[in-house]
Amino acid sequence: MKSAFEELKEAKAHLVKQLSEDTCLKDFQASYTEIIDQYFRASLEESETGRGLFKKKRPFTFVAVGGYGRKELCLHSDIDIIILFSSKIPAEAKDLAEEIFFPLWNLGLDLGYGVRTMKDCLSLCRDDFEVLTSMMDSRFICGDSPLYLSLMENLQKKVVVKKSMAFTRWLDDQNKIRMDKFGDASYLLEPHLKEGIGGLRDYHHILWIARTCFDLRTPRDLEYYGKLSHNEYRELEEDLMFIWLVRNHLHLISGRKNDQLHFDYQEKIAEQIGFKNKGGLLAVERFLGKLHSCMASIKSLHKSFINTHLPKRGLSKKRDKPEIISNGLTLYQDEIYFDSSTAILSNPFLLLEIFEKCSVLCCRLSLESMRLLREFLYLVDDTFRASEKATQLFLTIINNKYTFEALDQMFETGFLEVFIPEFGEIKDRVQFDAYHMFPVGRHSLETVRQLKELANRKELLLHDLLLDLADPQSIFLAAFLHDIGKKGKDHSRKGKAIATTILKRLGYDKKKTEDILFLIRHHLLLAETATRRDLNDEKIVVTCSRTIRDVERLKMLYLLTWADSKATGPKAWNEWISNLVQELFFKIMHILEGKELATAHASQKGKNTQSQVRGLVAGKISAHDLDKFFEVMTPRYLLNSSPHDIVRHISMVEQLGKTSQQFEPSAFVIDTRQDSGDDYWELVFSAKDRPGLFSDLSGVLAINNINILSADIYTWRDGTALDIFQVSRPLDPIHPEETWQHVERDLKNTFKGKLSLAYRLGQKAEPSILSDRKKPSRPPKVIIDNESSDFFTLIEVFADDRVGLLYDITHTLFELRLDIRIAIIATKVDQIADVFYVRDLEGQKVKDEDQLKEIKEALDYKLGLT
Amino acid sequence: MKKIEAIIKPFKLDDVKDGLSGIGIKGISVTEIKGFGRQRGHKEVYRGAEYQVDFVSKIKIEVVLESELVPEAVKTIQEKAHTGQIGDGKIFILPVEEAIRIRTGETGKEAI
Repeated sequence: MKSAFEELKEAKAHLVKQLSEDTCLKDFQASYTEIIDQYFRASLEESETGRGLFKKKRPFTFVAVGGYGRKELCLHSDIDIIILFSSKIPAEAKDLAEEIFFPLWNLGLDLGYGVRTMKDCLSLCRDDFEVLTSMMDSRFICGDSPLYLSLMENLQKKVVVKKSMAFTRWLDDQNKIRMDKFGDASYLLEPHLKEGIGGLRDYHHILWIARTCFDLRTPRDLEYYGKLSHNEYRELEEDLMFIWLVRNHLHLISGRKNDQLHFDYQEKIAEQIGFKNKGGLLAVERFLGKLHSCMASIKSLHKSFINTHLPKRGLSKKRDKPEIISNGLTLYQDEIYFDSSTAILSNPFLLLEIFEKCSVLCCRLSLESMRLLREFLYLVDDTFRASEKATQLFLTIINNKYTFEALDQMFETGFLEVFIPEFGEIKDRVQFDAYHMFPVGRHSLETVRQLKELANRKELLLHDLLLDLADPQSIFLAAFLHDIGKKGKDHSRKGKAIATTILKRLGYDKKKTEDILFLIRHHLLLAETATRRDLNDEKIVVTCSRTIRDVERLKMLYLLTWADSKATGPKAWNEWISNLVQELFFKIMHILEGKELATAHASQKGKNTQSQVRGLVAGKISAHDLDKFFEVMTPRYLLNSSPHDIVRHISMVEQLGKTSQQFEPSAFVIDTRQDSGDDYWELVFSAKDRPGLFSDLSGVLAINNINILSADIYTWRDGTALDIFQVSRPLDPIHPEETWQHVERDLKNTFKGKLSLAYRLGQKAEPSILSDRKKPSRPPKVIIDNESSDFFTLIEVFADDRVGLLYDITHTLFELRLDIRIAIIATKVDQIADVFYVRDLEGQKVKDEDQLKEIKEALDYKLGLT
Repeated sequence: MKKIEAIIKPFKLDDVKDGLSGIGIKGISVTEIKGFGRQRGHKEVYRGAEYQVDFVSKIKIEVVLESELVPEAVKTIQEKAHTGQIGDGKIFILPVEEAIRIRTGETGKEAI
């Protein structure tokens, strides 16, 4: 016959083999416990020492404690056992322990044992509640059974009953410690199966409370004695089975007792227990989704159980009496109760009203209410969902102060996914990375929570923005729904479609619905642009602004971006990202408030212009090349130019490209045409931009007696300068081309250093007897504006016109190392009103006070000269 | 062996990363950092309240490589991170005494 040890070895090896082969071996714990029990029984029979002790009338018993007592042995769990004697411990006890336990150590099992008398046991339990819990889980294995029964009886009478208050308080404290330690983000990504929130320990707490308060001895009693409903118990069992299954595989893979599911193991375990990639989700994501959902439901059950059965501390006296808060609902000890199940049947809306009360009172539903709610979920059908009463109640919840607390319980009880079935489809989705902390459902609620809590925080930009919103309800709904389309790629587009259906069912205001759909569709816009785009590029910011279109939406989008990131995880939001997003936010806001580049009209016009240009050049320029041109054109240029002009400019720039390739360093292209009227001409000049270019141009026009009436200068994003002048008619209208030839010649000479503009202009300006007689004049004015644009310093100049004035101004700006990016030149009768958009050589607005002062003084000086 | 530390604009990270892997550099470390140089923070005003941003968000990349590769790597970073405007960043080159790969214990060239 085989020895007890041989049998144990074989049985265990067989069981481990089964575990690694059978993907869903469910009763590993029970089988393993039985194998160990069997070993103790058989080896005790074999033991000489054991028989000797019984002969000497020194009876003893083997007691399994802790997890072994609960029959929850996983592959590498500790096995804790006590050898119990009635009064005195005989000398042979040591031999007995060695005889029986040593082989187990040799096998590598983590065995902990104690040899104790009845008295030891009781006093240890009294002093150390940790010991008491392991003793509560104890189980008779073999030996003298009356001894075990008397231990249990004494434990109940002398310890449990007397210490029940202190013990439950201790449990409550332990729970809080555990929440603090395991409630943080890392444990959400890498759950701790035993101590984690919603882990096995939560279940143990339920058992210990049941034992202390109701003297229940086995888990089954929870159902038999009505502490849990049949469904609750069945679900609990299923959830536990799954966690144990995972735990066993975790032990198997990591080769040791380890209860934290680290990243490294997650994929392997998902595969081992038979998860497959499906519906755009990875196996590991489906596995984690299931695990989170099991742990969430244990957590919820545990929370309600504790609330219901543990004596409450620090309860206000006011709520100590039942208070009727609505027809059919009662508040008692900070929990809300349904008056009866018939009340629900006669008014199914109570199912939603109870949450509405939560959202006002910040209370929990009692365990009993949760139970009833789950039973009656079938009442929530299509008619219920679309009824005005229900939708109104839901929207009130969204508006109330404690929305998160209400939604959280709606989520826990399963109401939310019944009321909004679309939510059920995404709630357990998990993204397998170190970035997304929560499954999508929880993440959606956390996003709402962030925004709701924001209302209580002070002196924060976001806080002010939230309070300023004309329609706060929409931002909360958007927060709740923003990831509703999270089923694979392009979730914001899918989300928009799904949310359309939901909001329609809720009878939500049409215009507000548009806002929410917009927010869902673009909820990643700000964060993506801020981190991946050049915020100093005006076009990028204008493009964003055109998508967003109004300040109210921008504020909502900023709030949603913040809340969404905060609810994603610690890596998704920090001061670093916050700086970038805030910078973008303000830049967009300034553009939107500027009411110029980003209005609906402007963006529509930009689109129309582009499509007309496409039509005009079809066949001549490939769509690809044309896109490249559009890409470098600035929003301002596109907005202010006609399609025909754009086509003309494009061909100039193409020509410029060819000339520059011939190594002409100062290449330029000039094009003139007479405007429809006879009075003035249009001159277009294009070259690679460089400092001083504009000043050279205006100088050359001045020495050729060409009066600039107005000018628009544009600098494309690739550095192409495009200057468009409206000029007075040449002096010789019969042969205008001669004048233009002179201009071209003088430009070439200027660029090559063969012509000094200052000298020529000086000569020209010498007083002559033919000069105009003195005209009434106004003092010149220079205004420097650093507020209107985030990208440029604006210099506005008002003065009497004279020959070479524009040259003087622009040359001064050139001397001060300013780069003129945009200029709007206008002459009215004899007055000029010019605006120059400038940046310093480093492409920044001018911020240096000394430099600003110098600009103003230098211009004042130049303008003062007549 | 040298270490290159470069401070760059966040949106240039992908370009720089691709550029470096294009010349055969196998690994870089990336850190989100804040600071200021000539490009200072700025102040915003919303409804009378001021929101001061003292530091500018930047990316720091670190690469350890053989000395011969340094000129090419520097050139790549400079080209890819360039916008011509303030705040394009800086590149620092530091000597590295030794490198050890923890897993295998390899040292020197093999470890980088």
